[in-house]
Amino acid sequence: MSGHALVCTQPLAIIAEQGGIVLGVGRREKNAVAQPQATTEQMMDQPIIVAKDVEKVYDTGKVRVHALRGVSLTITRGEMVAIMGPSGCGKTTLLNVLSGLDEVSAGTIVLDGRPMESMSDKQRTRFRAEKMGFIFQSYNLMPVLSAVENVELPLLVAGSKSRDARKRALETLALVGLADQANQRPAELSGGQQQRVTIARALVNHPALVWADEPTGALDSETSGDIMDLLSRLNREYEQTFVLVTHDPSVAARGDRTIFMRDGAIESDRPNQRPTGA
Amino acid sequence: MQDIFGLPVQTLMTVLLALFLVGAAIIGVLALRNTVMFKMGVRNVPRRRAQTALIVLGLMLATLLFSASFTTGDTLVHSNRVRALSTLGEVDIQVQSTRGAASQLDQLLGPGGRAAVYFDQTLVDRVRRALENDAEVEGVAPLVSESAPVLAPYSRLSEPQVSLLGVDAGSQAGFDRLKQADGAELSVRSLADGQVYISETLATEIGLRVGDKAQVFLSEKPTLVTVRGIYSEGGVPAAENSLVMPLERMQALTGNVGRINSVLITHRGDEIEGAEHTDGTLAALQPLLRGSGLEASPVKRDALERADREGGGFADIFTLFGGFSIAAGVLLIFLIFVMLAAERKRELGIARGVGMQRRHLVRMFTFEGAVYSLLAAAVGSVLGVAVGWLMVRVITAAFAQFNQEIVFDFQWSSLVIAYTLGMVITFAVVVVSSWRASRLNIVRAIRDIPEPRTSRRTWKGLLGTAALLLIGALLTVSGLSATSIALFMLGTSLLVIGAALLVRRLGVPDRVAFTVAGVTLLVWWLLPNSVSDAILPASLDDTGGIEMFFISGIMIVIAAVWTVIYNSDLLLRLIVALFGRVRGLPPVLKTSVSYPMQNRFRTGMTLAMISLVMFTLVVMSFITNAFAGIWDDTHRWSGGFDIRASTSYTNPVPDMTAALRTVDGLKPGDIVAVGSFSSAPVKAKAAGTDGEPANLNINAADDAYTDVVSYAFGSRAAAYKSDRAVWQALKSEDGTAVVSAITVPAKVNQEFGEQPPPVRLSGFFREDPIVPENTYIEAQDPRIGRVQRLRVIGVLDDVALSTGDVLVSQPTLEGLIQAPVPAESYFYKLRPGVDAVAATRALEAGFLANGMQAESIREEIDTFAGTNTMINTLLQGFMGLGLIVGIAALGVIAARAVVERRQQIGVLRAMGFQRSQVQLSFLLESSFVALLGIAIGIALGLGLSRNVIGGFAEQFPGVRYEIPWLQLLVLAGLAYLSSLLTTYLPARQASRIHPAEALRFE
Ligand SMILES: Nc1ncnc2c1ncn2[C@@H]1O[C@H](COP(=O)(O)OP(=O)(O)O)[C@@H](O)[C@H]1O
Ligand SMILES: [Mg+2]
Repeated sequence: MSGHALVCTQPLAIIAEQGGIVLGVGRREKNAVAQPQATTEQMMDQPIIVAKDVEKVYDTGKVRVHALRGVSLTITRGEMVAIMGPSGCGKTTLLNVLSGLDEVSAGTIVLDGRPMESMSDKQRTRFRAEKMGFIFQSYNLMPVLSAVENVELPLLVAGSKSRDARKRALETLALVGLADQANQRPAELSGGQQQRVTIARALVNHPALVWADEPTGALDSETSGDIMDLLSRLNREYEQTFVLVTHDPSVAARGDRTIFMRDGAIESDRPNQRPTGA
Repeated sequence: MQDIFGLPVQTLMTVLLALFLVGAAIIGVLALRNTVMFKMGVRNVPRRRAQTALIVLGLMLATLLFSASFTTGDTLVHSNRVRALSTLGEVDIQVQSTRGAASQLDQLLGPGGRAAVYFDQTLVDRVRRALENDAEVEGVAPLVSESAPVLAPYSRLSEPQVSLLGVDAGSQAGFDRLKQADGAELSVRSLADGQVYISETLATEIGLRVGDKAQVFLSEKPTLVTVRGIYSEGGVPAAENSLVMPLERMQALTGNVGRINSVLITHRGDEIEGAEHTDGTLAALQPLLRGSGLEASPVKRDALERADREGGGFADIFTLFGGFSIAAGVLLIFLIFVMLAAERKRELGIARGVGMQRRHLVRMFTFEGAVYSLLAAAVGSVLGVAVGWLMVRVITAAFAQFNQEIVFDFQWSSLVIAYTLGMVITFAVVVVSSWRASRLNIVRAIRDIPEPRTSRRTWKGLLGTAALLLIGALLTVSGLSATSIALFMLGTSLLVIGAALLVRRLGVPDRVAFTVAGVTLLVWWLLPNSVSDAILPASLDDTGGIEMFFISGIMIVIAAVWTVIYNSDLLLRLIVALFGRVRGLPPVLKTSVSYPMQNRFRTGMTLAMISLVMFTLVVMSFITNAFAGIWDDTHRWSGGFDIRASTSYTNPVPDMTAALRTVDGLKPGDIVAVGSFSSAPVKAKAAGTDGEPANLNINAADDAYTDVVSYAFGSRAAAYKSDRAVWQALKSEDGTAVVSAITVPAKVNQEFGEQPPPVRLSGFFREDPIVPENTYIEAQDPRIGRVQRLRVIGVLDDVALSTGDVLVSQPTLEGLIQAPVPAESYFYKLRPGVDAVAATRALEAGFLANGMQAESIREEIDTFAGTNTMINTLLQGFMGLGLIVGIAALGVIAARAVVERRQQIGVLRAMGFQRSQVQLSFLLESSFVALLGIAIGIALGLGLSRNVIGGFAEQFPGVRYEIPWLQLLVLAGLAYLSSLLTTYLPARQASRIHPAEALRFE
């Protein structure tokens, strides 16, 4: 319990700032090959995802659940989009189909200019490996791997050399304030720490697109504030696109735009007032 | 079988049945009193059919192994019994002259001597009267039986040893009737003068048909008889080649009118039941026979006992070598239930959370386990019979050359024992693992958080360590005082384990404590023979039997797995370093190796199973291979001769060398040497030992034999510097003898169900190079009781098969029984290049009237070798069944892992793991465990085989330590391939997991 309290009081913002220095311009260039589009200025306003009339029906044999009923939306590069709505309205489902983890029942999704249905499972998987990061509500770390091993996994999947991967994983862990816990296993970390490992894992290969499904759902408000500070900072500094599902209006308020869903459809979609401070 | 594990079948069955029934009753009562628990537990069984099937399959393996070895044992016992009964039929007791050996000798030395064993026919009536009031006695009959060569003049074929039976037509009540193949009875009464019945075997052997004439050589002058009929059963007591005539005719032929040489007694009931009343009849006959020079022998009971002993010995071998697989099977049962508990953990946690008591949990789980065990033991015991049947088929093929009929048989009692034993073992494991499962932390169980490492500083732990050390010390001491290497080694090992636990308690890291202990144990158990001989107390030398193989196998496997598990991170690093450069492999490798390393319990159990079975298979290959080599050296087995032959004692060949010149088909010079044996029955015992002298057939070699023979000696009297010198001494020094290896005790006793030799020397061992001075055998002329001492000057090599137990020179034998004994056995050495088989045929044809039977020694050896290899292969196959256990464990673990890691697989897929990578990671994971287990097994097998083979080599000089690379490769390949096959399905399933769905549900 004391460990948890200690972690919660750590000023994440400062660490993020230090991390920003670590993740200097040189690093970005090194990573440029993996995400060439992200660097060109003119592409910045181009949509990274365009969804049109997306329907999703779960057919379990006994029941048919119409989880998405004609959702259309466009997400631009560098945007931070919050999705809100009551439980069961289809937020997770939307995230899953947009990220290609799940297939749509009808409608089209164009991912980075490529229609999703034209991509094979293999191609989509590779796309995820290279350009996407996931932050799940229930941290979903590999229990048998240490924190740093968890974080380096996406790099290894994307084909980095193991020594480079280890170095970058440690840097990213430092960025989220867990330099000292690098060799601990998830079971030995508190909830907030585990979530930060998940974030480090999602961000370690500088994905163009980060999906976060209730990333702060299981955390207390103070910790969740710290995490959000970290996310918005990364979004701003690296022009990464964030799509996050949340129940917390204060979390949603930190994004560029908030989408409200109800019964599988978008009820409202409007830009937030830019937060003044940072 | 009468005995299993040295316990009477009836007792074992009663005890096991009682245990089973008590267990069943307890479960039944509990189920009635906790119907809810019962339903909650049992509803899981039909709910998941596939899983239930898998569990049942896994649990049944131990039972199957029991059942299969019992069935094999039953079959062999039964076949032995059939053989024994075919020679005895209904005859339960035979009254004969006590002068068995003397009478044989008399017969040998001349026809007149036969009279000695005959007695007055009126004894039959006196026996009848003595047994009159015994309702169990069904019949008493007189018999004259003799053995003589029979020749079929037309086919020119002969049979040197045919049992001639003189049967009293009026006393056949209760005894076997002669029956033709079609079932029709043949009446002795209807035989006219000069007519006989012959057995089917004799008829086919020498080509006789009804109406044919045959010559019977009861004396030098043959008697001509006519075959009146051929019987397929009922000619008892006799060997397969027999001939029946009326009693009076037989009496006249042998010159014993009014006299007989046997009284037969049969009891009520069938052939086997008849043996039960033996004691009563023997007691009733005692007063009558006392001082008469006659004795009543319980022939039926003795034959059955011998049959059971030999068959049971075979079953013991199978159960022993199957022991490793059974041990692995028990581990599997444990593993399966632990995994089942892990799967139910959440359910159980919630049940606890809503107020269920711990004991309720145990019960719920036990109910479920009971259902699985019931099913598994049933399937296992029945399938085991099928496997046993298959093994019997192989054994039948193996023994085909020996004319040994093998009749499949299985006993309900064995099935019941296999079932209850399997059930009791399975159920005991179920209860233990249920109890273990019930001790869960509710919160951890519900949230599926791994259990923390147990604290090592508990009082209980300390007490356990202390107890372990104490038991270890006790065992060590008692091992020393009882001179049992097994106890001693077990005790010292427990001390090592206890010490490791103790220093760990004192703060030494696990890795250091356990690695040091594990390696110490390995070294300790694998010490080369030479080193252990040097450092262990001499009193313990060679006190271990075959059980040491079992114990040391288990111990080194435990030690090795222990060491490996606690150093797994090093292994992980090594593997990553080795394969980390392969593109796309690092992330897969990382996950696939980390899982087994983290789940120490599962991995350790699986490793233990696989390596245990691999280890036994490797050792078995070594043994097969080592022994295969000993057959190659024909010269060692044959003593330098190519053909051995025997003639009938009633018509010996007076001058073999001269006679050979006239044999068709043999050119002069084809046979370069002929040695001969005469042989005579004497009473003998080792000088200076207590006990009655036993019947011994002593062989006497002529000079030609001793000059040529090349058999080696395992031990020689100190005065003789070479093997040849011993042979020379046997020829030139009167009163000397050489003996076979089995007459001298071995330090390591490896005999299973074998008959003890008639003479057992003491004071030295087979392994000793020197025969002590003053080693004598006291041989006694059975007729007059005069004792003469034979000085033992050499112990023959184990493989000197054709010498008999005691071999002397012909003059020595003549001195012993004061009469020349004609030669009966011949040994021919051929000129190189002469076809032995053709020469054999020529000899048999040439010495037809002498009833010669000749055998090419090379062929005999090949037959032996073939049988031996087949039996070893069968044994290996049986042990290989254990591999299924290890592989099943891998499958179970993989299947379980797919369920457990659903969500994690979802994450990996989201992270960019391709399907193929997920599948690969599962396959790599099993491969890692399988290959590690295989490697450990092979390494340990290589280590222990050196000692095992070394031990054999001391006894069998031809045995060599040679690594059977090909076999090892095939074994490893097979084991690995099948492990891949079992994990392929779960791995595929894992790769098909839909990431979105896997991530949704926790
Ligand atoms: N695999 C599935 N099978 C059947 N129904 C599902 C499945 N996944 C989600 N649903 C249903 O779809 C609806 C939307 O679920 P979800 O997207 O998880 O909502 P949210 O994340 O907004 O709480 C719910 O009614 C849920 O029960
Ligand atoms: Mg959701």
